[in-house]
Amino acid sequence: MAGFVAILRKDLRLELRSGESTIALVALSLLILVVLVFALDPVGGVRDAATAAGALWVALIFAGMIGSTRALLAERDNGCICALILSPLDRGALYVAKLVAAFIFMAIAEAAAVVLMVLFFNLNFDSRLLRLAPVIALGALGFSALSTLLAAISGRIRAGDLLLPLLAVPMFVPALIAGVKASGAALTGAPFGAISQWLKILVAFDIIFLTTGYLLFEHVIGED
Amino acid sequence: MDAALIAARGLDKTFGSVPILRGVNLAVPPATAAMIIGRNGAGKSTLVRLLAGLSAPTAGEALLFGAPSRTLESAARRRLAIVTHQSFLYPNLTARENLEFYAGLYGVADERAEILRWIDRVGLAAAADARVRTFSRGMEQRLTLARAMLTRPEVLLMDEPFAALDGDGVALVADILREAIARRCAMVLTAHQPVTIDGLKFDLYEIVRGRLLPLSGDALGAPVRAQQAG
Repeated sequence: MAGFVAILRKDLRLELRSGESTIALVALSLLILVVLVFALDPVGGVRDAATAAGALWVALIFAGMIGSTRALLAERDNGCICALILSPLDRGALYVAKLVAAFIFMAIAEAAAVVLMVLFFNLNFDSRLLRLAPVIALGALGFSALSTLLAAISGRIRAGDLLLPLLAVPMFVPALIAGVKASGAALTGAPFGAISQWLKILVAFDIIFLTTGYLLFEHVIGED
Repeated sequence: MDAALIAARGLDKTFGSVPILRGVNLAVPPATAAMIIGRNGAGKSTLVRLLAGLSAPTAGEALLFGAPSRTLESAARRRLAIVTHQSFLYPNLTARENLEFYAGLYGVADERAEILRWIDRVGLAAAADARVRTFSRGMEQRLTLARAMLTRPEVLLMDEPFAALDGDGVALVADILREAIARRCAMVLTAHQPVTIDGLKFDLYEIVRGRLLPLSGDALGAPVRAQQAG
């Protein structure tokens, strides 16, 4: 547990000091939402909320990829990843620490993205956003779990940064569909029953991604 | 004789079709230091990485504490330290923060006092709160030594530990090695040419065309001499 805390504290300290990941994630979310809001030219009504949900998840996916890559990229400096591999820390705990760091960075970016989405898509700051929170949190957790594992694989190979989205996005598509549907339902004020069926799918994918990541991380982390 | 803490048995490493190491055998018991010399590209760093378990052998096995180094248990990894060309330090953390991180990772007892002691020991007290990215190569190497020794390892793997150090730095390494041997640490060091340290006897080897050959003192040229830190 002490090792887990040490890694998480170090990652947060590095991020607080440089702000590299968070600034990049928020800036990218802003850019994506601005582009989409002009491309889709939203007008008032239900369709706006559904479109906003789609735009939010596009921002979430791209921001998530940067967050996960950054969380492991810092370990490539000066070969620090080797020190972590040789340390007494359990590889599963290392995975969870990196995943939690990526999740925190992604959650901060998402909070900013939600505010921007409400402003750009002419939505209201009301209780519907509270119903959106668990959907976004589950989506961020699942994507962090998947992309942290894939970032460990792609970090070992040349042009791995290009490989990450090619691997992550197709694998995340089922959860992405569920997330967009649940977010759309939450923003349109649909009954909780309409949201919960999609939430179950998100929970299932989170369990799959977390378990797979925890079990496989020790085999994919490292040099050769 | 004590069982070897560091061992290699028929170790081969090939990159593509290029053999780097061939049939390397080595055994380093407690309180023993093996120095491995060789030219650039001879395979010294590769051997250190294989022994540490950072790289997989093409054939043969690398053992630490009698177990394959690639699959060491957590408790055994706690007893190992390594110094390589890469410092394993975070450039955006200060010297103190880097050591705090490693102390936390290894569960070092009396963490604060140990960190202060090692920062002082390697002569970085004045730079303790400076970020590592502002350090010279020599300062980074000193902090790397502190990072490695902070955990009081029983096995020490050092790839060219004298590189980038000035005279005082070399003497510092010499002192650290003497102390480590005194508490029965087993160590493997690499260097371009033999280094002599007062009060410390090395088992000398040279890597020639991928093979690890034992050397006698007579076979050596003039060794580099490390003085006592003072």
